[in-house]
Amino acid sequence: MTIKVSGLSHTYNAGLAYETKAVADVSFDVADGEFIGIIGHTGSGKSTLIQHLNGILKPDSGQIWIDGIDITGKGVKMHEIRKRVGMSFQYPEYQLFEETVYRDIAFGPRNLGLSDAEIDERVREAMDAVNLDFGEMAERSPFDLSGGQKRRAAIAGVIAMRPGVLILDEPTAGLDPKSHADVLSMIRSVHERMGAIVMLVSHNMEDIAAMSDRVFVMDMGRLVCSGTPAEVFADAEYLRGIGLGLPPSTEMARMLGLAAGAIRDMDDLIDAISRMRKGRDL
Amino acid sequence: MIRDITLGQYYPEYSIIHKLDPRLKLVVTLLYIASLFLIEDFYGYIIVAASIGGVLAASRVPLRFVVRGLKPIMLIIIFTFALNIFMTRGEVIWEYGWLHVTWEGLRMAFFMALRLILLIIGSSLLTLTTKPMKLTDGIESLLAPAKRLGLPTHELAMMMTIALRFIPTLLEETDKIMKAQQARGADFETGSIFRRAKALVPILIPLFVGAFRIAQDLAMAMEARCYRGGEGRTKLNALRMKRRDLAAAFACAGYLAGIIAERVLV
Repeated sequence: MTIKVSGLSHTYNAGLAYETKAVADVSFDVADGEFIGIIGHTGSGKSTLIQHLNGILKPDSGQIWIDGIDITGKGVKMHEIRKRVGMSFQYPEYQLFEETVYRDIAFGPRNLGLSDAEIDERVREAMDAVNLDFGEMAERSPFDLSGGQKRRAAIAGVIAMRPGVLILDEPTAGLDPKSHADVLSMIRSVHERMGAIVMLVSHNMEDIAAMSDRVFVMDMGRLVCSGTPAEVFADAEYLRGIGLGLPPSTEMARMLGLAAGAIRDMDDLIDAISRMRKGRDL
Repeated sequence: MIRDITLGQYYPEYSIIHKLDPRLKLVVTLLYIASLFLIEDFYGYIIVAASIGGVLAASRVPLRFVVRGLKPIMLIIIFTFALNIFMTRGEVIWEYGWLHVTWEGLRMAFFMALRLILLIIGSSLLTLTTKPMKLTDGIESLLAPAKRLGLPTHELAMMMTIALRFIPTLLEETDKIMKAQQARGADFETGSIFRRAKALVPILIPLFVGAFRIAQDLAMAMEARCYRGGEGRTKLNALRMKRRDLAAAFACAGYLAGIIAERVLV
């Protein structure tokens, strides 16, 4: 599975007083199995950009190829695209509607026209992936779950479609630390087990730095820079200028005068500090 | 698509129409709607269309925006049009089996459709050029005499504002839910009517749940700011008639005089 985007632009309310250029001339490639983090301040065009990748929004200009198929072309079956590209929107728990968790998760696979046996297998697999106990949760009403459980059930509904590309728009927003960690480890395990491309939109720089192979930075509808977390988080002043910041551990490494580029998360920081201490003790 | 519904939406501009007193705009809109039912011939429609066209131009709301708002009611207009064409008795100009088109029917259908379109344009201009807050203030102030009769005017006005205020919010919510279900392969556009109606369930249930959630949040936010209804409440921006309102009132009176004169004389 690969993604190629070239010259993508999208304008909301074209020609009206409140016309806004949400995405402007964005191009990028994503290789098979890559984990991409997308950052940008509120209103920078991240959500608009990712909604193009499964054909929910149509670009004003530009092309998108998913697995070599031009999804902006005419006569493309939306069905085929949505099978390949799974998308979890912000606050996905607001899309839950069925009587039971099981049936809600089965909604996507059922729309794909799968057999009951296949659907059952996928629901079990998806619930396992998001760490919801099948025996306990499957027959409960999704509206009776806790916030974190609802979120995970909703994401399971996307995972059950076994997409080759999984796009998550701020999947951890508003969750408590435990649920936050659960959702992240779930994303990681889905990435590893299914080998899917993951595109994660988040305001949490620490998560982005720790998980991504590459980071895309959006500002005013443009893809202003992309690279490994070390490359992107090397220019702190620039990031602050566009309303972003550094991961706390990278920030701290900078303050301590360590080589900040190599510090992606707390573990790296701890390693670096203990190495420094050993050097002093000698 | 769903964003096309402009009824109840506000279009931000700094035109003279936007600045007019909401009470005046409300009264004028009511008079305008009444005037639509006074006219019955071609010249009358010309006066109405020219007047509303003038107001539209002065409001600087793009025509395209208003026309887009007509799309959702196009079905009703077409239905009325067809009904009038085929159901009016008179001089037959075309016949096929039991279907017959009459000269009177054609005329009636055309005028009815025009009347509906003008009605929608006129009433959507009110909300397009008036912020919901001002609209409520206007309604409340106009209803003030009814307060003596025990009518809770403030509460009624507040309910109306909230309803208006929630139209775009719920539309946005619907849009979001539709996208999320589409991403899970939901299909709202093909299949029989029965299938399509069934396909609405995954939208309606989350929308319903969402509406209650939003309502609860709003009630909480209002209570947190000590909202206790209209009793003893003063206004930061009290409504005051200005010279431009007087001018607009005269223009409206001129319009009505024109309509009545046309009715009587022609």
